[in-house]
Amino acid sequence: MDKPQMIEHLHEAVNYTVYDTKWIPLSAKFVVLGSKPNSHGILDIYELNEAKLEKVKSVEKKAAFKCGTFGASSLRNRHMAIGDFEGRLQVLDLERTDLAVYNVKGHNSIINCVDAIGGTQLECGSPEIVTGSRDGAVKVWDIRQGQAPVVDISPPAQMGDGINNSNLRRDCWAVAFGNTYNAEERIVAAGYDNGDLKLFDLRALAVRWEATIKNGICGVEFDRRDIPMNKLAVTTLEGGLLVYDMRTQHPTKGFSWVEERNAGRSVGTNGIINGPKATVWTVRHLPQNRDVFLTGGGTGSIRIWKYEYPDRRFTDDADGIKEGVAGKLQMVSAVTLSSQPVHSFDWHPDKLGLAVAGAFDQSVRVLITTKLNTL
Amino acid sequence: MEKKRLLEKYQIPVGHLDFDYVKKCENPREMEKIVMILRSGEEGFYPDLTRCAEEKLKELKPNSKMFRYEEQIRTSDTLDVQELKPIYDWTEHIKYKDHALSVLKEDSTHLPPIRKPSKIEIDKQEDKDTKTQKAESAAKTNISAKKQTNRIKSTDYNKWDKYDPDEEILRMDLEEERTKEQVQVRANQLETAAVAKSKAGHIDKQAVAEQRLAEQLKKLSQLEREQYAERFRLRGNEYFKVKDYDQAVSEYTLAIEYDPEQAARAYNNRAISQLKQHKYVAAMEDCEACLRLEPDNVKAILRLADANYGYGRRRESYGLYERVLNLESNNASAQKMLKQLRQELGELAPSNATRLIIEEVEQKDQKEQKSQKEKKDQKEQLKPKAKPQPKVVQTKKEYDLAELVKPNRVVKSKIASAAEALGKLKGSNHNPNSNSDIGQKQQQMPLPLMMMQQGMPTSQPELRLNNNSGSSKNKLLIQEL
Repeated sequence: MDKPQMIEHLHEAVNYTVYDTKWIPLSAKFVVLGSKPNSHGILDIYELNEAKLEKVKSVEKKAAFKCGTFGASSLRNRHMAIGDFEGRLQVLDLERTDLAVYNVKGHNSIINCVDAIGGTQLECGSPEIVTGSRDGAVKVWDIRQGQAPVVDISPPAQMGDGINNSNLRRDCWAVAFGNTYNAEERIVAAGYDNGDLKLFDLRALAVRWEATIKNGICGVEFDRRDIPMNKLAVTTLEGGLLVYDMRTQHPTKGFSWVEERNAGRSVGTNGIINGPKATVWTVRHLPQNRDVFLTGGGTGSIRIWKYEYPDRRFTDDADGIKEGVAGKLQMVSAVTLSSQPVHSFDWHPDKLGLAVAGAFDQSVRVLITTKLNTL
Repeated sequence: MEKKRLLEKYQIPVGHLDFDYVKKCENPREMEKIVMILRSGEEGFYPDLTRCAEEKLKELKPNSKMFRYEEQIRTSDTLDVQELKPIYDWTEHIKYKDHALSVLKEDSTHLPPIRKPSKIEIDKQEDKDTKTQKAESAAKTNISAKKQTNRIKSTDYNKWDKYDPDEEILRMDLEEERTKEQVQVRANQLETAAVAKSKAGHIDKQAVAEQRLAEQLKKLSQLEREQYAERFRLRGNEYFKVKDYDQAVSEYTLAIEYDPEQAARAYNNRAISQLKQHKYVAAMEDCEACLRLEPDNVKAILRLADANYGYGRRRESYGLYERVLNLESNNASAQKMLKQLRQELGELAPSNATRLIIEEVEQKDQKEQKSQKEKKDQKEQLKPKAKPQPKVVQTKKEYDLAELVKPNRVVKSKIASAAEALGKLKGSNHNPNSNSDIGQKQQQMPLPLMMMQQGMPTSQPELRLNNNSGSSKNKLLIQEL
């Protein structure tokens, strides 16, 4: 076999709902964030030890944890930014977890998603954290700033009483940083439950581009955060996977994309797709190769994709304006991991092929993918 | 309601589910459908036919979606201990690094300033857009209203008598072109300013960046440097894969700067990037730098050989390819190149041949010089080891460029006629450029440009401008010439 293969190296069953899993940079440890049955938040740190996992630390807090990231912390401190079910964003020093380094009640409702940048990238502007919440707001935080966000991207204030208008507010399900190739440029991509996809330009403080996709957006990620926008992967409910070519923006048509409609469903052993349409929960690009990425689907299957660029990345349309050309998606491997959705996944930033996945069957898995360097 | 059978859905006759048809079929889309029907088992189970159809499809469309299979996850028990060993080793290694990091004290490295608190309004875009549009359209109507004020009243017969439509048309054309030209000039000015600015800025930025880099490097521990260097190298690889060699080179350069002691791979990768861009000298330097760090790096030797060959130093490359074979006797590309070199070797001079020295001939025109230099370089590349030949002095003809410029004769006649034509225009009161300027410009103009002007006098700015300041000045201009 010369194509990449996924192997389940270790499997750990836990007694709480797993919401997020993240490797601690430059270590053999990873963090599992979750919610206990009594809706307390739990943070476990596991360490790889030859053929077994060892729980190093366990922390319990009042509110259930939803999402976390190490993106804004330097290699020396490795603090984790965590969003919880009550709309609180806290930055924890994993050595001293009882007192948060930074703690702010950022949103009125659950923080669905978090992304951060600037910790380990040099010459890329200040470290910032972005959160997206059920209250419809996207907020950018700088932990040196105090209790207010540095950029507040909220929907306009509601008129009338809150009950009638409550479902007008969009629910932000996914956020991602990108285009941070120097100290000024920075873009936030946000995906909402109604399929709205918005790009916010933090330098110009304006909406750079927006589009509406058929289904609610569950995951967005730029292939690289710290280069001029190259590609943006978007996953949706009902199995949509879209990859936008972000190099060329047409004034009216926007960015061009390639779409895969059944990325969440099981392809079956005979190549025939059956079963209900399933959500694609997450997309994660390989840190060592930006054109390879993984999606985690609602049927518990994960897939590795490879993006193939077209010969020319743009064409001139009838008016002589540049228009992007999307490439092709090639499915490298499809593996069923669990009977429940695989909704969180993290490649190890320093070791090619090592990954940790969290699924709704209350378990965490350490995976090894072989031959990724052949892609 | 009964579900449609696949056969009906795809509108494929039953007869096509047949060995002969499958073998003949050349349409990958149809083949996919046939495979789908056969696999579904709705028409019965034919293992041989299915296999045959699949093989055919593989031939027609190797990356068809029909070949996507779901796999069962394998557990690590199925793996050999040998395969897991690298992971275990890595774990130990990373734990050591992890510990080393945690010992490092955090110093407050200077971070970029905090962003000013601000807001981005969503959903209000439309209002803004319509507002600006309205403003624009209002401005437009204003302008058009102003333009209308110069109109001759329909009852003013005196003025209408004097009105000459041809002249008016000519004037309008001229005016249009003048505005066009002004726009062009402005754009040019802006461009040059921008270029100058960016150049100055670039130099500034480079210096600042270098300084900052040096500062940062001082602050970082060896461990962190390694990390960053590795990251830059990987990014370089990504750029290399998509053939963006310039970017790749700059990433590799950063990688080398961050961790010069373990930069063998970065040097090696930068060498191949340079090689792809035909920058042979730089590639050679990088290969040599890599070989200083890792003397037996086969790839580096091979690339050094390729660079030498590309540069035209075949004898050196021959030796290097041989060295590759000594280290790795079955290296295919080295074998191939050696074979090729042996064929070419007949043309090669003995190693004691002297190098051809080409003396530079002084040239008045820089361009000429440049192109000759390039040619020389090419020659050097092509056969620097040629058999000793008598020294050849460059026998390029020297052109007297002054001859090309013959301002007086040509201009005089032409300008006179043009000015006469323009002089006929009464009261043409356009905003002039200074006339002396024009004269100078024309004197400096080389012949071909002049010819172009003759071809289409109205579209050329210099000539047209003459009419701007009336006929008397035009005559003056001609006298000057």
